[in-house]
Order: sequence, then C-alpha cells, then structure tokens
Amino acid sequence: MTSPSKRRLPHLFLALLLAVLALAGWQWHAGAPLSANLMELVPGAAPDALVERAEQRMQEPLNREMLMLVGHADRNQAIALAQRLGEQWQASGLFEKVQWNLQTDLPALRQQLLQGRLAMLSAADRKTLIEQPQVFIGQRVQTLFDPFTGFSLVASQDDWLGLTTRIQESQPKQGSVQLDIGSGALIARADGKHWVVVRARTEGNAFDMKLPLQVADLLDQARTQARATDAQILAASGLLYAASGQHQASREIAWVGGGATVGILLLLLLAFRRLRVLLAFLPVLVGMLFGAVACVAVFGHMHVMTLVLGSSLIGVAIDYPLHYLSKSWSLRPWHSWPALRLTLPGLSLSLATSCIGYLALAFTPFPALTQIAVFSAAGLTGAYLTAVCLLPALLNGMQLTPPAWPLQVAEALWHTRQALLQRIPSPWLLGLTLLFCGVGLWQLHAHNDLRQWVGSPPQLLDEAKTIARITGYQPTSQFFLVRGSDQQQLLERQAALSQRLDQLVTLDELRGYLTLSQLVASPSEQQQLRTALAALAQHWQPLLALGIPESALQTELAQLQALPTQGIEDVLAGPLGEPWRTLWLGDTREGVAAIVSLQGLNDASLLQLQAHDLAGVQLVDRLGELNGVFADTQISAAELKLLSCVLIVLLLILPFGLGGALRLVALPLLAALCSLASLGWLGQPLTLFSLFGLLLVTAISVDYAILMRERVGGAAVSLLGTLLAAATTWLSFGLLAVSSTPAVSNFGLAVSLGLVFSFLLAPWAGSHEQPVT
Amino acid sequence: MSWLMRCVCLMTLLGLSTLASAFDLQALSVQLALPAVVQGDFIQEKHLRALPQPLVSKGQFVLARDHGLLWLLKTPLQQDYRINANGIARRDADGWHMLPSKSAGAEQNRLFFAVLQGDSSGLQRDFDLSLQGDAQHWQLRLTPRSLLLKQVFDRIEITGGELVERIELLETQGDSTVLRMPASSSTASLSEEQQHDFAQ
Repeated sequence: MTSPSKRRLPHLFLALLLAVLALAGWQWHAGAPLSANLMELVPGAAPDALVERAEQRMQEPLNREMLMLVGHADRNQAIALAQRLGEQWQASGLFEKVQWNLQTDLPALRQQLLQGRLAMLSAADRKTLIEQPQVFIGQRVQTLFDPFTGFSLVASQDDWLGLTTRIQESQPKQGSVQLDIGSGALIARADGKHWVVVRARTEGNAFDMKLPLQVADLLDQARTQARATDAQILAASGLLYAASGQHQASREIAWVGGGATVGILLLLLLAFRRLRVLLAFLPVLVGMLFGAVACVAVFGHMHVMTLVLGSSLIGVAIDYPLHYLSKSWSLRPWHSWPALRLTLPGLSLSLATSCIGYLALAFTPFPALTQIAVFSAAGLTGAYLTAVCLLPALLNGMQLTPPAWPLQVAEALWHTRQALLQRIPSPWLLGLTLLFCGVGLWQLHAHNDLRQWVGSPPQLLDEAKTIARITGYQPTSQFFLVRGSDQQQLLERQAALSQRLDQLVTLDELRGYLTLSQLVASPSEQQQLRTALAALAQHWQPLLALGIPESALQTELAQLQALPTQGIEDVLAGPLGEPWRTLWLGDTREGVAAIVSLQGLNDASLLQLQAHDLAGVQLVDRLGELNGVFADTQISAAELKLLSCVLIVLLLILPFGLGGALRLVALPLLAALCSLASLGWLGQPLTLFSLFGLLLVTAISVDYAILMRERVGGAAVSLLGTLLAAATTWLSFGLLAVSSTPAVSNFGLAVSLGLVFSFLLAPWAGSHEQPVT
Repeated sequence: MSWLMRCVCLMTLLGLSTLASAFDLQALSVQLALPAVVQGDFIQEKHLRALPQPLVSKGQFVLARDHGLLWLLKTPLQQDYRINANGIARRDADGWHMLPSKSAGAEQNRLFFAVLQGDSSGLQRDFDLSLQGDAQHWQLRLTPRSLLLKQVFDRIEITGGELVERIELLETQGDSTVLRMPASSSTASLSEEQQHDFAQ
C-alpha cells in the first residue's frame, strides 16, 4: 500500500461512514423502523390476491383484538370489575373500542327482523313453512300460549306468523357465553366462577412496536386490581404474544450481543495485552451500522429476529482485524499497514466467500433469511472496509508484542495432531469420520413447524386454552374460501359445504362454523318462500279461531310478499349481521366470495376430505401449507448450498488452482456433514434453520481452510489465527443456541457444531500433508 | 316476556329478601316461602293491542319448593311444561323432552333459580321493588332498572294475600299479560302423581 493511499483511504472511508450515519439518522428519525410481524418472515405463499385478502381478514382480529375474561365467584363483583376495567381501558386511548356489555339497539334489531322475515328465516323453518304449512301454523298457535318461549322483540300484531321469533331463535349460538339480561354482559360459568367477557380492539396492531408493550402493561395493572378483590383475569391476544416476543428479543439481543462483545474484548486484551487493540472492535460496530442501514433501505424496516440473528455477526466481523493482528506472532516488528498488505488477499477472499454464503440465503423463498442475508452481507462489507481503510491508520505506530503462550498452545495442538496422524493416517481418519457421519445421518430426522419460530411462553398458551375452554371460542387458523359467480351461487355452494360440515359437527370433530348461508337465504329461496306464503291462507284457521282478524293476517301476508329480496350486504348492515361481517369479501373479478370460519377443529385433514369435491370451495390452511413449504425449501436449500460451493470453487481457482479450490471447499462440506450427523447423534431435529446455519458455516469455514492453506508465518501461527477467528465466531453463534425461540437456538446450535468441525478439519487444507519427521 | 312471568311468579310465591318497613319484603318472602307446595288453577290472559279479545288459556300449576314448577296447560290446547334446575322440559307422547337451551333461555333459568333459592340480589340489581299494603292485602311493583329491560317492558304488578293472586306484566309496546291464580292452596307434600312428574 503506497503512502498517498495510506493518507487518503481513511479520509475517504470517514466520508463514507458519515454519509451512512446520516442515512441511518434519517431512517430512524421517525421512530425505530423495526417490525415484529412473524408473517413477514414466512414466504408470501398466497399466489392468489383473494386468498391473501381473506387471510388478512382472518388475521386482523388476532393482531388487534384482545379477549379478556374477568372472573369472580360473585357474579355482581365480576360484572362491576369488568365495567370498571372496561371504562379504564376505554379512557387509556389505546383502544378503538372496549366492549364489556351488549348495548343492543332494539329498535334497529326489530326493524331488521321485520325486514328480513323472508331473507333470514332459517332453512329448517323455511322447509316447515313450505312443506307442512299446517304444522307451521300449529306451532305458532302453541307459542302464543306457551309461557316459556323466549321473549320476542317484535309485538305479536306486527308478526302474527311468528317469523321474527323463529329467526331470533335460529341464530347460531356462539360459544358457551350467555347474556346477562340486567347488565347486558356476556357471562360464562366455569371453575366455580362467573366470567365476564370483555373484548377490546386496539387502534394500531400488534406489529406496532410500542402498542403491544403498552397493552401488556395495562393488562398487568388490571391483574393487580383484580387480585385486590379476589378476582382473576385471563387474557388472550396476538398483542400479548408480540409483547412477549419483543421482551424476549431485546433480552436475547442483550445476551448474545453483550456476551459476544465482552468475550471478544476479553480475548483481544488477553491475546495482545494492549488497550489500544480494543479499537479492533470498531469494524464490528461499523458492520452493525451498515447492516441495519442496508436492511432498512432494502426492506423499509428490520425484523427483530434479524436483529437477534444479526447480532451473531459480531463474531464474524471481528475476524478481519484478527487476521492481521494475529500476524504479530510471526511478523516482528509488527506494523499495521505492512501486516494488512500481507493479509489483504486473504481478507478479500474471505469477504467474498462469506458474502457468497450469506447471499445464497437471500435466494431462498424465506423473507426472514433474505433479510439476514442482506444485513450480514452489508455488515461484513462495512466491517471489511473499516478493517482495511480505517483501522490500520488508528493502529499505526502501535507496538504489538503478544505473549508467547497462545502460540505455544497452538504449537502444542499442532504437535498433538501430528502425533495422532502418525498413529492413524488421514485416510483412516476420513473413514472413521464418514462412519460417524453415516450413523449420525441415519438417526437424523427433519422437523419443521411454524411454531418453532415463536418462543411462546407456556403461560400465554395455557391462558388461551383456558379461555377457549370457558367460552367455547376456539377459532382455528384454517378456513374455507367460497367463490360464486353471484350471490345465488355463492350461497348455494355455502349451503352444500354446510351440509358436509354438519356431519363433522355431529361426529364431534368440529365445534361449529359460521357461514353467510346461515344468515341469508339465497334470492331463489326467498322467492320460493314468497310463493309458498300464498298457500298459507288455506291453513291458518287455528289462528283465526284465537280471534285474530282475518284482515290482519291478509295485510301481513301482503306485506310479506311485498318485502324486497334482500342481498348479503342488506342483511349484514343490520345489527344481527355483526358476527358475519368479516366473512363477506364482496365482489371479486370472477363474481363474489366469502369466508366460512371454523371453531374447535380436531383434525384438519378431515376438512380437506369433506370439501375436496365441492365446486368453488377452497380450504385455506396457511399453517399446514407453510409447514409444507418448509419441507420443499429444505431441498432448494441443499441445492443452493451446492451452488454456493460451485461459486466459491470458481472464485478460488484463480489463486489456488482447481485441485486446491476443490480441497478448500470439500473440507467445509465435510464439516457441514459432520454437524448434520452430530444433530442426529444428539437427537436434535433437522430444521430449516439448522440447514441454513450449515449453509452459512460452509461460507465461514472456507475462510479457515484458506488461512490454513496459506500458512502465512507457519502452521502454528495460522492455526492460532484460525483458532482465534473460530473462537470469536463461535462465541457469538454459540450464544444464539441459548435463545428461547426454537428456530434461533437451532440455528445457533448448527453453526456452533459446524464451526467446531471446521476448525478441526481446517489443517487438512494444506496442499501436501507432510508427516512430521 | 313470558319468561319474566315465570320469574316473577316464583319470586313472589317463594319469597324475596331484605328491605325494611312494617310489612316489608323480608316479611313477604318469609310468608311466601312457608308452604312446601303451592298448587291451583291459573288463568292467563294475553292482551294484545290489535285484538279486541284477550288470548285466554287455563290450566293448573304445582310449585314445589324443592323440585320446581309444573305448568299444565289445559285449554285451548293441552301441553305440560316442567321447569327445574336442568332447564325447561315439554311433555309429549313419550315423556319429558328438554327444550334446547338458548343463550337467553339459560339466563332466564339462572334468574329463576336465583329466585327459587331466595337469592334476590340478582333481581334487585335488575329491578326496583316497591311494596304496599299488609300481609293480607299487598301489592308489589317491579320496575326494570337496566336499559335493556326498560326497552322491553314497563313494569310488573303483583298482588296477593296469604299467597300470590294476580300478576300483571305491562310491555312497552302496549301489550300486557295477566296471570290469575284465584284459588291456590298450599300443602305440605306432593301427591304421588306429582312426585312422579318431577322425578322423570
């Protein structure tokens, strides 16, 4: 490196750094561009815009609503506390709506019942009226005298035929909650307590970074209040999972980042005994900055999981300065610029191979990995540039006289290896290794589930289960999407699906379902009813016998026949339509579409079986599909791995020739194989994440192989360099293994194992293995 | 609103609790809770605004403190009902059949049995109670408190002496129901047939 460049490079780099800092400032000025939305991390598999819309519709309440149960042995106290909490929450400003009681608008309800007498009459009642009009009239006479029928909202003289009462009574019962007539609260009884249902809908959603924490705080306060009066609170919401996920992520970033930082700083001090050498940490910081800025620039935000996984980059980024710092054992006296000049080709190759490895991740269909890839590639580039352009200037003039003991350790290791090789030659060792791999791989099993991506605290899961048991609300992630050319066809198809689902309900495989066809009769069914009404006059003698004037009945009949046919939107607009509103997707390019939601499903495969031959009916099972995508991606991940190896071989042919390049790539591959086998031996499942971890290991460990092949300053010095690099990397990835998110810890474990094997195998990278003489 | 009829009827037959005056709710509830079994004829008149004549039905009832209520409608059609802790049952040719409990129906049962057990706290939350007269001639008025109930009916008037004699329920829309039990009598135990009806 010439003198002018020595002076110019640091300045140029500082200018770049300032620009990036300014960009970062601009990116963060309006709040942290962070996201915690799990669904952003999985492939946007929905190929169909309508399916995607339906999915969003079904997910929205999960991310914005909270279901709380306020329980107390005394009913009135439970209601009073629910009311108090409801008012407090409403006043908190976090919620768009907090509902603890039904404030039914009875006039509107009456109006809807009267208008919907044709459109909303249930299928069973319609059948009775059409096929057995005399039975229909008989039942009506009975209810007029029956002192125990439920209360009717519409006065008898407005509905002599009793259609509105029938509509009211045929509304599907939702869960096991009951209306408390006095307060309007919805109450369930279980475990010796009365549980009042409180629903709250937030202004923002769970992926807003602040909201989940605020909501969780509010809930904690509510729990404290409840304890003071012997009450108990149960809550379930996607917001709570988000809050717990954020807490966990920040805890883990602190652990992984903090642990790796402390460990690396200690290692630097221990190995080089100079305070100034701590400046070598600068590339790590710059790397993190570059990674974050690139990630936000490309994706508009950064996921917290990227941050957790990205914090492991610390251990990789520190390798660049370590490359030339470790030359101080052989290069006496050590000067920063010459040491850099000596290691620059190796550094650059190492950057290139690592970037290839990381960027291979970017081509998987998983946004999670794409983000990590961009973060890491940009981060490594930043660290490399700092190590190459700035750090030598900062370390200029520093005298490095490291202690001899690390080198002695490395030499001892090297001699042990040589001694071992003398007893057991390499081919034998290779054989043993392959045997180890074979048996290990045989025990390996793949396991993929979206649930690995979230470290759900058992307490939240337990509470959600208890709520489902008490209230009977057991929403399932699967649903049906039904399409039709028009409302008539849509409702017919839904009715066909309902028949199939009823069988599952009878078999106790399904608790219930909600479909528009329960609420609205199709236009042709409404017309059939209108026609059948004309014949009713022949059978209404029993009503006349009670003293009901014939003219009143005639007038009512005329009114009924004049009722306009109601469409889905008309019925949904009324108060009774409320539970169904989210199901209606409205007009689509091919016609109309709607969702059928399910409750309390036992076996998802039965759904597929029940509906596979129904036209226009599609089962949407995002979770099931995703788990399928995981399996498919494992194959494409393996292909990517091979491809990245080919690229690395091509890159290495120039400096090392084809044979050397192949050898340099074969070792990391063998290391990856060994770690796969170890997972098998350890009984750990192979997940998509562990596979990606190994993909990464290949890229990182090529670096070690190059170091050991070049042997700048001798085998022991190179081994020491490799050991230092592996130790720092291992520190940060090893810490990931303690994460409580199964996917992250799996990733950490796979990389840690891979690094151990890479270090062990790296010495074989030398072109001609010379037995010690 | 006939479910309320049931509640009110039982409440007044079986008793209420605390409120103070010379002849107060406490005294009334003690008086009404005394007999183990009350039975007699009932006449129900449904006064519908649009009908010149009320819909009249007649029958017999048996209210057993420890078992529940039998409501045996005789005219103009014959139909037996039974209400107990399990819910409402209707009798047809092959015996009692539980009516499917609907959300509101189950709530009615809760109120109903709160009353049966002399737990008036639930009722006092939903109604303002005012009592006039003496033990031989008293009148109890229930005015709904909650918004929901107010939208459905105005008030309930109950009159009686030793036992309840008349219950009138006035709906907001102008309809009303009058339930008369002119000749109820109290007994110490159920007849064999009545025991049989409650047992199944």
